[in-house]
Amino acid sequence: MTKEQVVLKIASHPRYLSIVRAVAVLAAEHCGLHYQAVEDVKHAIDEACSNVIKYAYRGDPDRQIVLCFMGSPESFEVTIEDDGIKTRPENLKERSLDEVKVGGLGLHIIRKAFDTVKYDESKEDGNRLVLVRNMIEEE
Amino acid sequence: MVTCTSMKIELINRNGVVVISPSGEIDMYSSPLLRKELISFTKKKISPVIVALRDVTYIDSSGIATFVEALKRMMPYNGKLKIAEIPESIMKIFNFSKLDKVFDMYESIDDAIKG
Repeated sequence: MTKEQVVLKIASHPRYLSIVRAVAVLAAEHCGLHYQAVEDVKHAIDEACSNVIKYAYRGDPDRQIVLCFMGSPESFEVTIEDDGIKTRPENLKERSLDEVKVGGLGLHIIRKAFDTVKYDESKEDGNRLVLVRNMIEEE
Repeated sequence: MVTCTSMKIELINRNGVVVISPSGEIDMYSSPLLRKELISFTKKKISPVIVALRDVTYIDSSGIATFVEALKRMMPYNGKLKIAEIPESIMKIFNFSKLDKVFDMYESIDDAIKG
């Protein structure tokens, strides 16, 4: 079956994160995710885009982020592309949840929501983050 | 009242105690505004500071980090940061991040004042 796609292009300004969340909710609901799963993927996608703004674009609000939401009976998949500084997966900051410190929580939130979190290494410039949540029976 | 498009912050004086009451969504766009308010109180070494989250519909890691930063700034003067009226959806984030064990949390503003 062909995957249904929704594509969203935004400037890398934090003011657009509310739009990202709104579209993420609609796409996840359309794919048939249940309420808590919708909330989890919304939060994760928001955190992933915040990371792009913060790390790949170092706060530059005038770059571009492209999100592609794809739904199928098997999975809900999101790709997030930027043209910023290359992110090395091994350098991603994930703090222990037992530490009380600022930062590092976003990656935990992303990994909680999605079964697959990986960078597409075939993209030469910038980053393409691939997030996949497998559909389970109750969804 | 301090506002940006996704969040408003109301400052309430409850029997001489400062209550910060944000409403709306706390994310990377709006959390700097919340940080500015909290830091303005920590700089004056005001304690306790109560944050009422009843009208907050969303919080991301930058919002959580804002509270952690404020708490750390208050520690040297034994200041108290108290969080009250936490909606279930927001509490889930505190629980997941294990920060529910770090912050003083209360069901109501009155409980926070008494506690």
